[in-house]
Amino acid sequence: MTEFYRSYLAVAVLILAAIGMVGFMLGLGRLIRPVRAQEQKYIPYEAGSDPTGTFGQSNVRYYVFALLFVIFDVEAVFIFPWAVNLESLGWFGLVEMTIFVVVLTLGLVYAWRKGVLRWA
Amino acid sequence: MGTPYFDYHALAPVIVLAAVALLALVVDFVWKDGGRRAVPQIAGIGMLLALIPVFTLAADGETRVMFGGAFVVDNYALAFAGFFLIVGYVAVLLSYDYIDEGDYYRGEYYVLLLTSVLGMVVLASARDLITIFVAIETVTLPTFVLAGWRKHDIRSNEAAIKYFIIGVLSSAVMLYGMSLIFGLSNSTLLSEIGSVAGGDNPALFAVAIFLTLAGFAFKVSAVPFHFWAPDTYQGAPLPVTAFLSVASKAAGFVAMLSVVALGFFASPNSWQPVIWVLAAASIVVGNLAALRQTDVVRMLAYSSVAQGGFILVPLAVSGDNDAARAGFQGVLVYILIYAAMNMGAFACVIANARRTRSTEIQSFSGLGRSNPAMAVVFTVFLFSLAGIPPFAGWFAKFVMFRAVLDAGTTAAVVLGVLAAVFSVVAFFYYGTVIRRMWFHAAVDLGDTGSPRVPGALVAAMAITTTVVVVIGVYPQLFAKIGDLAFRAT
Amino acid sequence: MDWFDDWALTLAVFTPLVGMAIILLIPRAEEAAIKVVALLTSLVTLAIGVGILVDFDFGNTAKMQFQVDKEWIPVINARYHLGIDGISLPLLILTMVIVPLCIIYSLDHFPEPHNPKAFLALILLLEVGMIGTFVALDLVLFFIFFEVVLLPMFFMIGVWGGPNREYASIKFFLFTLFGSALMLVSFLALYFLSKRSTFDISTLASFEGAGITRGTQVLLFAGLFLGFAIKVPMFPFHTWLPDAHTEAPTVGSVLLAAVLLKLGTYGFIRIALPILPEGAQVWAPWIGLLSVVGIIYGALCCLAQRDMKRLIAFSSVAHMGFVMLGIATLTDFGVNAAVFGMVAHGLITGMLFFLAGSIQHRYHTREMSRLGGLLVSAPKMGWILGFCAMASLGLPGLAGFWGEFPAVLSAFEPSRLANGILGNTDSTLWTFRTFMVVAAIGTVLAAGYLLWMYQRVGMGTPKPEFEDAHIHDVHRPEWVAWTPLLLGIVVFGLFPNLIFSITNDAASSITRAFSG
Repeated sequence: MTEFYRSYLAVAVLILAAIGMVGFMLGLGRLIRPVRAQEQKYIPYEAGSDPTGTFGQSNVRYYVFALLFVIFDVEAVFIFPWAVNLESLGWFGLVEMTIFVVVLTLGLVYAWRKGVLRWA
Repeated sequence: MGTPYFDYHALAPVIVLAAVALLALVVDFVWKDGGRRAVPQIAGIGMLLALIPVFTLAADGETRVMFGGAFVVDNYALAFAGFFLIVGYVAVLLSYDYIDEGDYYRGEYYVLLLTSVLGMVVLASARDLITIFVAIETVTLPTFVLAGWRKHDIRSNEAAIKYFIIGVLSSAVMLYGMSLIFGLSNSTLLSEIGSVAGGDNPALFAVAIFLTLAGFAFKVSAVPFHFWAPDTYQGAPLPVTAFLSVASKAAGFVAMLSVVALGFFASPNSWQPVIWVLAAASIVVGNLAALRQTDVVRMLAYSSVAQGGFILVPLAVSGDNDAARAGFQGVLVYILIYAAMNMGAFACVIANARRTRSTEIQSFSGLGRSNPAMAVVFTVFLFSLAGIPPFAGWFAKFVMFRAVLDAGTTAAVVLGVLAAVFSVVAFFYYGTVIRRMWFHAAVDLGDTGSPRVPGALVAAMAITTTVVVVIGVYPQLFAKIGDLAFRAT
Repeated sequence: MDWFDDWALTLAVFTPLVGMAIILLIPRAEEAAIKVVALLTSLVTLAIGVGILVDFDFGNTAKMQFQVDKEWIPVINARYHLGIDGISLPLLILTMVIVPLCIIYSLDHFPEPHNPKAFLALILLLEVGMIGTFVALDLVLFFIFFEVVLLPMFFMIGVWGGPNREYASIKFFLFTLFGSALMLVSFLALYFLSKRSTFDISTLASFEGAGITRGTQVLLFAGLFLGFAIKVPMFPFHTWLPDAHTEAPTVGSVLLAAVLLKLGTYGFIRIALPILPEGAQVWAPWIGLLSVVGIIYGALCCLAQRDMKRLIAFSSVAHMGFVMLGIATLTDFGVNAAVFGMVAHGLITGMLFFLAGSIQHRYHTREMSRLGGLLVSAPKMGWILGFCAMASLGLPGLAGFWGEFPAVLSAFEPSRLANGILGNTDSTLWTFRTFMVVAAIGTVLAAGYLLWMYQRVGMGTPKPEFEDAHIHDVHRPEWVAWTPLLLGIVVFGLFPNLIFSITNDAASSITRAFSG
């Protein structure tokens, strides 16, 4: 049983360490930072420009395009090592990669048909 | 570097599901109006089609190992793969009219459902931490979207957001645990983790196991990681709730079972107490909270937390005195039976919600008179959930108690007594609905929907009722599956 | 008749189920067809029972007969094992007789909300459970049938019951469920501790508890005790019974009293005593104590009742106390008395509940202060009530006597292996003899409350509010339903050996471990 409790001690220590770490960092910040209240400091930070005051929403299309970019970026990450080994992988590799590209292309066609790529 | 070894027969269920999911997607966007009708059919047939290789593989009986041991097709994997496909098929049946009639996208719904089931089938075969992680993410990611399917309903949005945040958090915790395990054992294969279990650094290993199990506990909504479940279940569209409470919960259990049985088993001191606490807390909190509910979906949500606790009981005692086999069998058989009865119960809730446009328990009043057939079916499921013979639930409880007594340690017996007492408490809330249906006159709810129960729902009820009654009378069928699946371990 | 030997019990258990399935297929409006099918099914079941009686080897009642032993759930080694001996036979036949009588009685007494389809289907399902429990020789199978009985009774009370039916039905269900959960755990423990990994009742009984330590036996017996004692019901666990009886429809009450309560006592005799003899020895004085407390407490409660049905319900608690006292002596004499008491109580109390139902049907009340003069307004029914009250209080020459008197007598000479109240065998004799005296006082009290009940209901003149009411005397369906029971009360009262000769050998074989 002592063995068993010792292994759980580690769990407890981990949890305490996590809480302690957060407390320590926040507390340290509070201790060493100068506190000089200025009105501008309480304005939300919006990429450097002053907030306009109204609730602004970014257009969802930005996100969609970002997402598409990530997907094809990852596709490239897979294709490069495959291309290097194409000779040894042979026909099998070619077929597998074709399937992979076709599936991703289907996704693109889907997005296109659903009108995601239209900007206006 | 040559061509990796592929056993296409063993991969067939996965390939079929993936192909059908893509096909459904293409049909939906190529053939817009016809697709609306065709996609649900494709999804349903696809699930059944993928079952065929599962059966041929089971008939073959050979264990097939691929990808350096990361993907194994054995009886255990086949039992769960078949189970997930059937549950998926029933989920399609449940969704058919609901999605058809609402203001929802249809093609995407079934594609996401198929993808989620695809993840489950892979999960059943996964024998390596990375494969398990990828599979479990494939299971849950589509369900985040499905939970928020009723996008004009603020409750559905809340459901999706809550589920998403908790799901991602639990994945992070689980991944952290898995990376620690990899750091300690220098392998992600469950079989190799098992051989170094406890090794040089048992304390760190315990931490790793704790974090991994906590991640799974979120997925199966075990107390104290359950608080997302009632809100998500209530807000999500009802067929999705049924799917979440059965399939994705079962997926979490399968992952937990694989990892414990094949990976951590050699060091029971580090996983058994965790699961013991999860099981006991789920049984107590789930049952007590369910007592206070007035909405049937929330009641079933808490009941599924409690049932999750019961499922964990055999696992919690499986490390003691050669109880491993009885314990693992208990978990497996309980999951199979739980799925049938809970799916069935949700089919009745969906049918009743069509009728009364409400999920309040009150809305079931007088169902025994207005629709006796449906009331009988729902009563069967509720009795089964409460574990009353001759419906399947009794055997689930039976295998649970069998594992407890096979282990025979004090901790096991305490858990067993707890389970016995709270399975009586559970009858109280299941009984509330039964009383509403049979002992009360109908309540006028004003705006009433269509009293007709659509064909797909009838089919879903028929399948689940058959399973619940047949297994209740002749449990050997499931017991045999459990026995075969664990012959090796 | 070889095939009959193999199939009789299976047929007996599942014929009502087939009848129930047919009833469910008949549309609800076809009431006549439903009633005919229900009655026929129960009569066919009874015919099978008669066949069993004819084929039963009365020279060998200690042996299990009509055995079926087939594989059922091999993974947990549970088998489909049925069989009957001299203990189960009388109870089996009692069940098969009571059910058709109940169906005949209900043909024109359907309680609200009418719905004969559901009502008769439930009665047949109940019959499946009751017959199954009496013939099951496998613990898992026994458990299933024991629980199957719960469902129809729950609905019968909850749907067709009186004003407080919901509370009564849920209380009945939760009490029994709680007991059976612990009973199931004990069954499983027996499976693992018996070393042979079996659920077979005969096999387990043949070990006579070998290999299970005394302490474990005491614990396991406690688990079984809770399961069975709640069903009986014994003194502190009896509170569900008056509520259930008061609220249940007449036929429900009759079945509850006549058969359901016996499932508990039968469980003691068939399972708890032979499988855990040492546990039984330790628990015997406590069972005896609770029995006599039940006898006195039930009688005193009867004296405080205003509702006729509630009075009969409490009298059941007292009468089942006699049965349990017989069992607690751990002697063959006591077990014989107990089985006779079970049959007699089934006939007499079943009859009393029929009467209470018919009286309520006519007067629309069961308040004894409002009733009176039954002998004047419905003389035949009044006489029958008097007859049953006499039978119930144990008048010699009627069946009730042979249940009560030998049970009291058996406490004079308990098994020498049974513990006394002080936890050793030295105190056994005076413990049980004290119980005997107390139980004898109970019989006097029984005479008191039954005669008092009869005086208030049967005698005197009708109360002014019912003076002009037309009280119909016993009509034909009632005669048909009651005559067999009344005959049984007389016949078994005059020839008790009809039952004792069947039970005797079986009772000796069950108490063999205690004969020291």
